[in-house]
Amino acid sequence: MNPNMKRSPLSLIAAALLAACASAPTGPTPLDQARASYSRAQTDLQVVQLAPDELNQAGKALATADAAQKAGESDSRVHQLAYLASQRVAIARETARQKSSDKAAADATAERERIRLQARTAEADAAQRAAAASKLDAEAAQRQAEASQRQADASQRQADASQLKLDLSQRQASDADARALALEGQLKELNAKKTERGLVITLGDVLFDTGRSELKSGGMRNVQKLADVLKEHPKRNVLIEGFTDSTGNSGYNQDLSDRRAAAVRAALQNTGVSADRITGRGYGQGFPVASNATAEGRQLNRRVEIVVSEDGQTIPPR
Amino acid sequence: MKNFSKYLGMAVVLAGCATATPAPTEQLALSRAAVANAVSAGAPEFAAPDMSSAQDKLARATVAMTAENYDVARMLAEQAQVDAELAAAKARSAKALKAAHAVEEDSRVLREELNRKGGK
Repeated sequence: MNPNMKRSPLSLIAAALLAACASAPTGPTPLDQARASYSRAQTDLQVVQLAPDELNQAGKALATADAAQKAGESDSRVHQLAYLASQRVAIARETARQKSSDKAAADATAERERIRLQARTAEADAAQRAAAASKLDAEAAQRQAEASQRQADASQRQADASQLKLDLSQRQASDADARALALEGQLKELNAKKTERGLVITLGDVLFDTGRSELKSGGMRNVQKLADVLKEHPKRNVLIEGFTDSTGNSGYNQDLSDRRAAAVRAALQNTGVSADRITGRGYGQGFPVASNATAEGRQLNRRVEIVVSEDGQTIPPR
Repeated sequence: MKNFSKYLGMAVVLAGCATATPAPTEQLALSRAAVANAVSAGAPEFAAPDMSSAQDKLARATVAMTAENYDVARMLAEQAQVDAELAAAKARSAKALKAAHAVEEDSRVLREELNRKGGK
């Protein structure tokens, strides 16, 4: 009797079943399969390197199964040991896969950290560039604003200056008007007449002695009055023109008219009017203002005319 | 002859006792520990077929133990242990692969983002 048969009724049944299986045409036994999968695992570098302990356990389990078969133990026992060996090989493979994945995860984590660092560096760089750029922008804007302000200030100053100039010219204009009016008023006493050439004061014949060029005291008073007015209006110039009637020869008349004009000029200069403001000449019997046929007319023609210029102007000679 | 038979019978009984399989208490404890370890490793989720095979065999081994079918109990318990160990290994492997993929995906997204920013 086989001592194994005594183990249990189940073993008997199993043995019977296995015997039935064994008699049928079958492929590789579970032990064959265990051996095959173990040798495949042994040539798998990943398993050998990453799960050496598990592979070692699988090898031991396979050796046990082999030994059991060699010892002629029951098929069921050999199958059981073959199953355990096969499972141990599977465990070794799975462990190797896990280790490989762990390694991949570690590598990926390192890679991710590297990328994160790169991203942060890039972000920091970008932020720095942006900050620098906006600083430049701000500075440019500031410069522009300052330039605009300077321009505005300049415009304002120009406008102020223009206004001042305008005010000044307005004041000057009104000043000039006022002064012109004042002049006219002042010269009214001297019977000044407004003409195209300016204000004309006529010193009549009665202010000179006949045939003489010295001014009488009445003429001197008139000259003094004119001098006072001219001192108040320093920009006015005067033109002094002497005339005679047609009595006598023209050479004499010319000379007389010259001398009378010169006498008035000298008188004005004596009262302090600057010489360069005064021009004068005689016209003899030329430019009569009345008929020389009558005594009244001739008296009107014997005269000295003093033309007062506008501000700063000179009177064109006849 | 009677006595001989008696002795023979006794011998057979003794032989039976001597060769009778001891209760695989230790193996069963190992199997239980392996199954518990597999459960905590996440095998019910990641290696369901191996896990249920291990639990099924452990349950049957326990029944066989109670019935004092020690051979069957040992056989099933041994199988339950390696099944449970394989289930645990598969669970750990699946989780490790998942973790690796997650990190790789993270890196990919991050790299794309960086490239997009870099290309701006």
